[in-house]
Amino acid sequence: MSEEIKKPNVIPSRRHFLKGAAALGTGAAVLAGINDGARADGDPIPVGQAAPLTDFAAADGVEFRNGLTLACEEINALGGILGRPLEPYFEDTKQMGDPTNVQAAQRLIDRHSVHALINGYNIGSGAAIQDPVADAGIIYVHYDTTIGHNNLIKSNPDRYFGSFQGDPAEYWYGPGFLKFLQQLEENGQFKRANNKMAVILSAGVYAANIANAIKEKGADYGWEISLFETVNVPISEWGPTLAKIRQDPPAVIAVTHFLPADLAQFMVQFVPNPTQSLIYMQYGPSIPAFRDIAKEASVGVLYATVVGALQDEIGSAFEKRYKAKFGENAGHNSGAQPYDGAYVWATAAALAGGTGEPGNEEQNRKVASRMRSLIYRGVTGTTRFMADEQAAYTYPTQVNDSSLGMPHQFLQIQDQSKSGGLIAPAPYGTEGFKLPPWIKG
Amino acid sequence: MSMRRDFIVGLVLIALCATLPLFIGMRYFVTQATLFFIWGIVVLQWNLVLGVGGIFSLAQMALFAVGAYATAMFGYYFQMPMVLAMPLAALLTVVVSTLVGLACLRLKGPYVALLTLAVAQVLYLLIVNDTECFTNPPSGCMPLFGGVRGFTRFGDLGFRDLFGSKWYIADYYVGLGLLALAAAFSIAIIRGPMGLAFQALRDNPGCAMARGVSRFKYQLWVFALSAFFTGLAGSFYAVHFAAVGPTAFSFSTLLFLLSMIVVGGMGTLWGPLLGALLLMGADEAMREFGDWRDIGLGLLLAGFVILLPKGVLGSLQALVQKLRAKA
Repeated sequence: MSEEIKKPNVIPSRRHFLKGAAALGTGAAVLAGINDGARADGDPIPVGQAAPLTDFAAADGVEFRNGLTLACEEINALGGILGRPLEPYFEDTKQMGDPTNVQAAQRLIDRHSVHALINGYNIGSGAAIQDPVADAGIIYVHYDTTIGHNNLIKSNPDRYFGSFQGDPAEYWYGPGFLKFLQQLEENGQFKRANNKMAVILSAGVYAANIANAIKEKGADYGWEISLFETVNVPISEWGPTLAKIRQDPPAVIAVTHFLPADLAQFMVQFVPNPTQSLIYMQYGPSIPAFRDIAKEASVGVLYATVVGALQDEIGSAFEKRYKAKFGENAGHNSGAQPYDGAYVWATAAALAGGTGEPGNEEQNRKVASRMRSLIYRGVTGTTRFMADEQAAYTYPTQVNDSSLGMPHQFLQIQDQSKSGGLIAPAPYGTEGFKLPPWIKG
Repeated sequence: MSMRRDFIVGLVLIALCATLPLFIGMRYFVTQATLFFIWGIVVLQWNLVLGVGGIFSLAQMALFAVGAYATAMFGYYFQMPMVLAMPLAALLTVVVSTLVGLACLRLKGPYVALLTLAVAQVLYLLIVNDTECFTNPPSGCMPLFGGVRGFTRFGDLGFRDLFGSKWYIADYYVGLGLLALAAAFSIAIIRGPMGLAFQALRDNPGCAMARGVSRFKYQLWVFALSAFFTGLAGSFYAVHFAAVGPTAFSFSTLLFLLSMIVVGGMGTLWGPLLGALLLMGADEAMREFGDWRDIGLGLLLAGFVILLPKGVLGSLQALVQKLRAKA
């Protein structure tokens, strides 16, 4: 599927370019500067995206498409990449899974000769599309959020030179959460009643990797994992698990299972007879369905994301543009991922002297080299890649300078009618942490 | 049509296909043609079961998945070379198919369809619900059957090392070779004694059974033997795409392939291949229409069922017979 990208009718002055680009993010200003006022009227550069446009993850897939579409439009208005406009193509990965994802990527390469693939996430091993990409010698940016990517790149950096994970691996949710708790304690916002932590997970790579990371690093932060329970999902009856929690109340409950309806049921059944525990949940609370089902029981729940649009000047301006184009209900947080990914690639390509078509490995190696050394400030914060793993650094767990890593955002539902407020990390937080209503101060 | 004439037609088609990459070297065309060969093998074998043997089996994609998974697991767990893993996986598919056949073939019509579909669903659910870690590679928990993530990086045929970025052309010829073997097997069945036995059972079952032609025995033979090439197609699919997962059991793919047989002409020798060509072409042409693509394919199938119930080739054959009778 091709999207018509309108070229700017007028060549604006360089000053106008830079002024407009600054509102988009510092990286856009760099791109506009390199383009030096050129108009994007050269040969189009095909860029592809393999996304779940239908089936159960379509809500996110459509936003991934929107994010790339918006990025291409804006980049073209800034002069494209050295005067060549971007032309996006999309392939549906439906229910996802490695074979489907690989076929979709292969089709984009074979049929449209895309110079880069800029995806959101696709469920699978997170380490399969890298092979057709390596065979074609092109660039690939994705947000699969998996440690599998990091390990794959480390195993053969020469072959997988062009594959980048635009966000940190899911592993970092574990240590990041522990560090967040430590900061709450240091700031006097939370005092643990005991050293016990209950970890509840579902089977599957994502939930298991995060839970194992908490288990592995917990002792370093003085935590004893008092319960480590795998539940069969989908699950609506949490009685047996809650009975174990109530029998030996922990100071913190971390649920790394992520389906919103299941998590909402947990809260509905927990709140009538709560323990004095902080509750952290993975992903689910960010979906409105969680609040719709849990209602007032949702208030106080903590959740996090290692990649999402910030609620700052750049992020809010992006949200405004995004919703103006795609509607008030559009999910800009998902769209932000390929949006930033496209800018990172386009900026690096402009710096490297242009993009490379499939087979032009020499040029794409130059682009990849620029990407590895780039520090890009976009709507999700800073994208800076680890050189040996080609995945984004996370702040503050990996780096303690907010300008050198992507913020691991912690949010808390403080009003059931609104999505969570950003409470950490500094300097991005917009709300303060509040003790959940079931914890007696 | 005689067996000899079928073989000549087959050889001409294979020769034509063998020269195509020389004229149309575009990677997209070559890789799509390779996928056509894979689906071609599956529909040729399914046609033997459904159109010739009269077994309303819906287990074909499950058998295809058995071949794909067996290949991946041989490579992943035992580092077996793919050249060895592929025929072994095909033989394993024959064993599985025989067991399924023994369980299902005493039933008839829709009951066979229901039971074979149930077997496929059980296999699918066993895989996706397999969540216990069998190994713990750096990428995280790996269940015995790969769970929802499936298998990747289990080996290849070595063409990437031999031919570099042109490896896909070598895969094209492997696919073509496998299709040629599958077509030869199909000709031998349809034009051989087994085909005659099925014809007798269809035209006059009472007489055929009185002469000692056992429906169960012949159905079990064709069900088991055709699984060899179905499993081999699955095996080659896994190697070609370097990945296999639960989507191999996809019901929509099963329906797409069944449609190829219906459109081309069920029970005819070359009809399923023609159907595969037509439907893959239509699918490709409608790819730009988003959600309308599925509706378009559905309408196309409905149109064929109503207007050409015998499929393209079946209707052509009927027309030729009619004209000959008139003449």
